[in-house]
Amino acid sequence: MKSRKAAAVILVIAFVCVCSLIGPDPLFKPGGSFAQGSSISDEQLLARAINGEARGEPYEGQVAVGAVILNRVRDPNFPNTIAGVIYQPGAFTAVNDGQINVPIDPNSTVVKAARDALNGWDPTNGCVYYWNPATATSSWIWSRKIVVKIGKHNFGV
Amino acid sequence: MGIRDKLLDFKRRLQDRKMYSIVIVLLGAVAGWGIYQYRHAADLRQELDNQYNRAFYEMVGYVHNVETLLAKSMVSTTTDRTAITLQEAWRQAGLAQTNLGQLPVSQPVLASTSKFLTQVSDLSLSLDNQNIKGKELSDEQYDMVEKLYKYSVSLNESLRALQDDLNAGRLRWGELASKGTKLFSKTKPGEMIKKVEALSETFKDYPTLIYDGPFSDHMTSAEAKGLTGDEITIEQAKEKVKEFFGKDKVEEITDTGKNDNGPIKTYNFDVKLKNASKDQSVHISITQKGGHVNWMLNTRNVTEEKLDMDKAKAAGIKFLKEKGYENMEDTYYLKNDNVATINYAYRQDDVTMYPDLIKLKVALDNGEIVGMEAKSYLSNHTKREIPEPKITVDEARKKINKNMEVYYSGKAFIPTDYKKELFCYEFKGKLNGTDFIVYINAVTGEEEDILVIVNTPNGVLTM
Repeated sequence: MKSRKAAAVILVIAFVCVCSLIGPDPLFKPGGSFAQGSSISDEQLLARAINGEARGEPYEGQVAVGAVILNRVRDPNFPNTIAGVIYQPGAFTAVNDGQINVPIDPNSTVVKAARDALNGWDPTNGCVYYWNPATATSSWIWSRKIVVKIGKHNFGV
Repeated sequence: MGIRDKLLDFKRRLQDRKMYSIVIVLLGAVAGWGIYQYRHAADLRQELDNQYNRAFYEMVGYVHNVETLLAKSMVSTTTDRTAITLQEAWRQAGLAQTNLGQLPVSQPVLASTSKFLTQVSDLSLSLDNQNIKGKELSDEQYDMVEKLYKYSVSLNESLRALQDDLNAGRLRWGELASKGTKLFSKTKPGEMIKKVEALSETFKDYPTLIYDGPFSDHMTSAEAKGLTGDEITIEQAKEKVKEFFGKDKVEEITDTGKNDNGPIKTYNFDVKLKNASKDQSVHISITQKGGHVNWMLNTRNVTEEKLDMDKAKAAGIKFLKEKGYENMEDTYYLKNDNVATINYAYRQDDVTMYPDLIKLKVALDNGEIVGMEAKSYLSNHTKREIPEPKITVDEARKKINKNMEVYYSGKAFIPTDYKKELFCYEFKGKLNGTDFIVYINAVTGEEEDILVIVNTPNGVLTM
């Protein structure tokens, strides 16, 4: 009988723990913390954005995501800095859900992809939007003209 | 034991007094935790709302100033006074745009407002540069300012209406920001979005603006001068790919689609090279007109560094010659992960053409070219008329700081942010231990640009 009570108590404690994980302010952050320097260079910030948005994509798709961010910086309809574009509210899901803070795998190619994008490689030819047709929630995005498909993403203007 | 029995058993045990108190304590703990979380979330929401409000009110202030400054610039008659006014308009419009980008409203809703503010800022700067040199506004430029002024007046009106709603507590930003706040919402969902959308209504008939600035409307439609040759078919493009890598090296070419965006339209391919490792991928983009290589990427992992930079640069020059790009000269480079990214500029007679740029990635283990990017070259390359300089090199030299120790001088065409090229004398020199490049316009004698050279272990950077 005693062991049953103990089991019940443990169950409740476990329930509280689980709730705190999915609550609005997680007590235990999944993925660990990201080491932030006082000045994050554009290259690192871009690499983190690519890591959050497209780390499972082929290399070309990673460069393309970086290129879209840089094309937005040069587009009058968007903010005019890399940080402004990446952190524009609602612009990237990886920023909304914190995926951008997931540490970059040392074997990952995202840093190289960020560098190539900054050096001018643009597989999208000037696109400023991309979306994953399987998960896109905004119907508005489908009004964009699809320019090219790379990996899982459609790129458009 | 069935579920029914289990429940009955649980009910029986609840009647046990000890169990009763344990359950009550636990319920209390959970309730306490819930209240804490709720209050914490409310605090965070408030904090976020305050940030959005700050961004919004600051933006309203800046837009108001822009309106006033544009009005002033139309009235003032002296160029130096106009220059000061436009300079301030440039700053205020830039700040307004920065704050606009922080509002929790989806980008398409704010796009036209953003474009307006960016172009006001950009145009002001461009006109300001002209006024500083003592040139008055032309009639067309005056018209442009007047149009922008009218738009700023109506934008201000819409913003004021939105501000009133916010002040009266009828609207809250938080209701736009996240999906999870419906529970706390005091207004009908969608109302806020409608009010914000009214902002973009202002710009329904917004004109196309063409001026000397990076955000001017002609920037996207500029024709690519270097795209010579005839339209080719996809089969011909595949032949070009084989030629590029070498017929004996290509195993398979997969068509990944056309890209018809922008002035450089392309065919894109994935290429499988013989002896390629498993995780290596090669992509190439061939222009539909002329079959030039627009860009190429080879993801081969380079693990050793055997070549020095001189050899790497020479490997690049040799490669470019083979592909028919003559008279290319390396300018600066960067080195990362045993790969050097080297910039090559075209040289016509004794003038360096910086707009005609090709970037190559050279693998430092065997000198293989693992990347190429020729967009700038294809956009700008053409045979140029080199004008007769109006000032001599010595006269130009006198325009720069006497104390700078000049170790190189030459002639160059430099690109600007708005697709205009300037014919300049180029001076490289040292001042107080720092390297600089100074560009003096060979026709007007004006100082056009100064670059600081930063020597890092990974290469030479200009800033």
